Amino acid sequence: MNLTMKHALKYFVLAAALIYPMLSFTNEYVLHVMVLIMVYMVLAMGLNIVPGFCGLLDLGYVGFYGIGAYTAGLLTIHFGLSFWVIIPLAALNGAIWGVLLGAPTLRLTGDYFAIVTFGFSELVVLFLTNEIWLTRGPLGLPGIDPVIIDFSWLSTLINPQWNWYWEFIGPQPYFYLGMFMVAMVYVIMGRMEDSRLGRAWFAIREDSIAASSCGINLLTYKVIGFAISAAIGAVAGAFLARWTMFLSPDMFKFWESFLILCMVVLGGLGNFKGSLVGAAILIALGEVLRIILPALNLPTETRFLAYGLIMVLMMRFKPMGFFPSIATQSQKNPILIKLKKELGSS
Amino acid sequence: MFEQQLINGLTLGMIYALIAVGYTMVYGVIQLINFAHGEIFMLAAFLAVTFITVFGLPIYVVIILTMGCCALIGVLLDIFAYRPLRQSPRLAALITAIGMSIFLQNLAMIIWGSRPKPFVQSALPPFLRTTALTVGDASISWLQLFIFGIASLLMIILFLIINKTRVGTAMRALSQNRTSAALMGINVNRVISFTFALGSSMGAVAGIMVAIYYNTLYPTMGYVAGVKAFAAAVLGGIGSVPGAMIGGIVLGIAEALGAGYISSLYRDGIAYAVMIAVIIFRPSGILGKSTVEKV
Amino acid sequence: MADISFKVIKGEILGLIGPNGAGKSTLFNCVSGILKPTGGDMHFLAEDKKIRINGYKPEKMTFLGVARTFQNVRLFSALTVLDNVRIGRHCRTKANFFGAVLRTRSQKEEEQKIVEESMTWLKFVGLDKFAFYTAGGLSYGFQRKLEIARSLATDPTLLLLDEPAAGMNPKETRALVEVIHNVSDLGITVILIEHDMKLVMSICKRLVVLDHGTKIAEGGPKEIRQNPKVIEAYLGRGAADA
Repeated sequence: MNLTMKHALKYFVLAAALIYPMLSFTNEYVLHVMVLIMVYMVLAMGLNIVPGFCGLLDLGYVGFYGIGAYTAGLLTIHFGLSFWVIIPLAALNGAIWGVLLGAPTLRLTGDYFAIVTFGFSELVVLFLTNEIWLTRGPLGLPGIDPVIIDFSWLSTLINPQWNWYWEFIGPQPYFYLGMFMVAMVYVIMGRMEDSRLGRAWFAIREDSIAASSCGINLLTYKVIGFAISAAIGAVAGAFLARWTMFLSPDMFKFWESFLILCMVVLGGLGNFKGSLVGAAILIALGEVLRIILPALNLPTETRFLAYGLIMVLMMRFKPMGFFPSIATQSQKNPILIKLKKELGSS
Repeated sequence: MFEQQLINGLTLGMIYALIAVGYTMVYGVIQLINFAHGEIFMLAAFLAVTFITVFGLPIYVVIILTMGCCALIGVLLDIFAYRPLRQSPRLAALITAIGMSIFLQNLAMIIWGSRPKPFVQSALPPFLRTTALTVGDASISWLQLFIFGIASLLMIILFLIINKTRVGTAMRALSQNRTSAALMGINVNRVISFTFALGSSMGAVAGIMVAIYYNTLYPTMGYVAGVKAFAAAVLGGIGSVPGAMIGGIVLGIAEALGAGYISSLYRDGIAYAVMIAVIIFRPSGILGKSTVEKV
Repeated sequence: MADISFKVIKGEILGLIGPNGAGKSTLFNCVSGILKPTGGDMHFLAEDKKIRINGYKPEKMTFLGVARTFQNVRLFSALTVLDNVRIGRHCRTKANFFGAVLRTRSQKEEEQKIVEESMTWLKFVGLDKFAFYTAGGLSYGFQRKLEIARSLATDPTLLLLDEPAAGMNPKETRALVEVIHNVSDLGITVILIEHDMKLVMSICKRLVVLDHGTKIAEGGPKEIRQNPKVIEAYLGRGAADA
């Protein structure tokens, strides 16, 4: 398939995805799964920064997901804040915890860092479960408002008859919001990768001693990467809170961290576009298994068995994931494209 | 109250120590955190109950038989899951370990159901729950004495194996420098498999003891116990067997005292907090050596 | 190491020689900040100020103007040749997260400058045609040149070269000599660790000789060649009398 056909295919798929929710034969369940995939796409892209760009292993990513979700949920319930205000607040909270956790621990070697992040996310779950005065613990946090776009103050100024107030009901609006979120994170990831910041991260991942001899302060950049990763996870959590309108601590168990890690590895470490594919594959697989397994007379819990086995097999036969290339974003950089042409002609 | 918590903590600690040595030995020889180790601990409990209820074997036979089965499971885990990845990136091995852990947990759920079960008390001598000694306000039951005794015996045996046998020396050589050990003629694969077998059988005894002591088994019991035992191994200095023993006891006591005096809700959190604190402030643990990377 | 004391004169090419294990790379590691000496003083002249640099981290030393190459080439092998040099420009540029994401005008201008400066350094070592090749795929001699280009991109006043000619054939060595002379012509001070005596004697006006962690001689090529302690260190006792 040559380049123009690839581009055409991409646009076709994108257009199809945009129109799909509006078609008459759309299935609500399918839409729901697609929104779920989008949430995990964001999570996978966010997690990808740490092992993929910085070469460290974060086993506790679900902690930031949970922090973002509960921040959003609690702010909505107690203060009625708008979703659009909550997103930056959740991101900020995530980043703060990223810095708090990262600053003392990112100088450790890979295994230790993995264990500490694991411990952190377990503590987050314990906190969410036990601090019932704040989170209602295992009873969960229901009654979170859906996303609302409220320009009624503006519309009544223009024409009192108009009411620009839309509450997000049903999966369709969340589908488009999800696509918007994925697109935003995608663009941010691409811009970070092709920049001084991204290059510093790749340097740290490839050879940290050489990186510091180029003037890169290892700890500072690792912390920045970790904080950004945490912020993205928190944003996904905030979206989750306003979408499912219910939260409970067991939505944020270690299993989620593992699942997201698998998505990142499947897609190829360091390749954030691959993370999108990894997310889609693993969530779709889960849903497929949910349907197939009862047909084979196995209980649905076997899903996890299948996941575990698949990951073991993947690591055995394709440890670099499906798309192992890294740092390809700079190929799109106009400065470099121009330079390449000049070099080619001389 | 304090003495009682101390005794309970010590008992718990000996159990953690038995599991912790498995983690630390495997990490010592192949630098892998064997996430599935907790599941071997869990499988031991379930296998023991199955042996008693289905085959009607006496408890002493069951313990030995379960130790053997779990040693075998550990070796199979090494051969089929970890050995093919010896040369692969570390992340792949870690994911495989977690994947096997999840696989085994859910396998147990399918075979035995996910609801907690009690241990088969009828297989145990009835005097176990009675008090053997009293120290001030605190009492030590025969069961606690047994746990303490068996665990100590196993630790001594382990210590002798590691320090006085050829295999043990080979294990120690491997943990220091795998290439040189291989060049000295040590059959690396066999020694590693032996390490798994040894650690798994220790963990198996711990699994049976926990099932008897708390009188409950459930498929996810390996998860929390595994993390805590790992924390104990880190506390004592990962890679050091005496360290794992000490770490286990310290953690057990800390958990019992913490649950008694501070908060019982965050009982599990104590292990996590200890682990994080140790890693941040003294990564080499109590007995470990700090290593410096050479440029 | 113990009992090492010498000065490096600005703009010179100083040779640091001695048998294997003498402590030459260790000395480089101390100067470039990877190791912290347990005793003694190191002073560096940065912008007319004399600073004691004991214990300064590597990134700080690079910022002050000390660049280095490594005995076993340490490139970012999965990245392109150009990217390797662009990373060298890191310490002289300042765009951060917000610049990267918002693509401000100053960030875009800085990126343009980084590319231009990196290409200049690649041309300097003769690797400009290979800008988009993957660094790991280059021949060994080219990889060493790339490492030099990257270290030059940090705008150093002092360049530490750790056995740059190791494993090179005569043609590559001649190219390397030319690069080192060009570097010196720019006014950059060079300290060179090398085992290739012909190379060292031809480029360096002064030499310092280490053995077993101490300095055993210092001076011009001719005196060093005839110094009995040096001969003994390389060839063993008795060779000096021969």
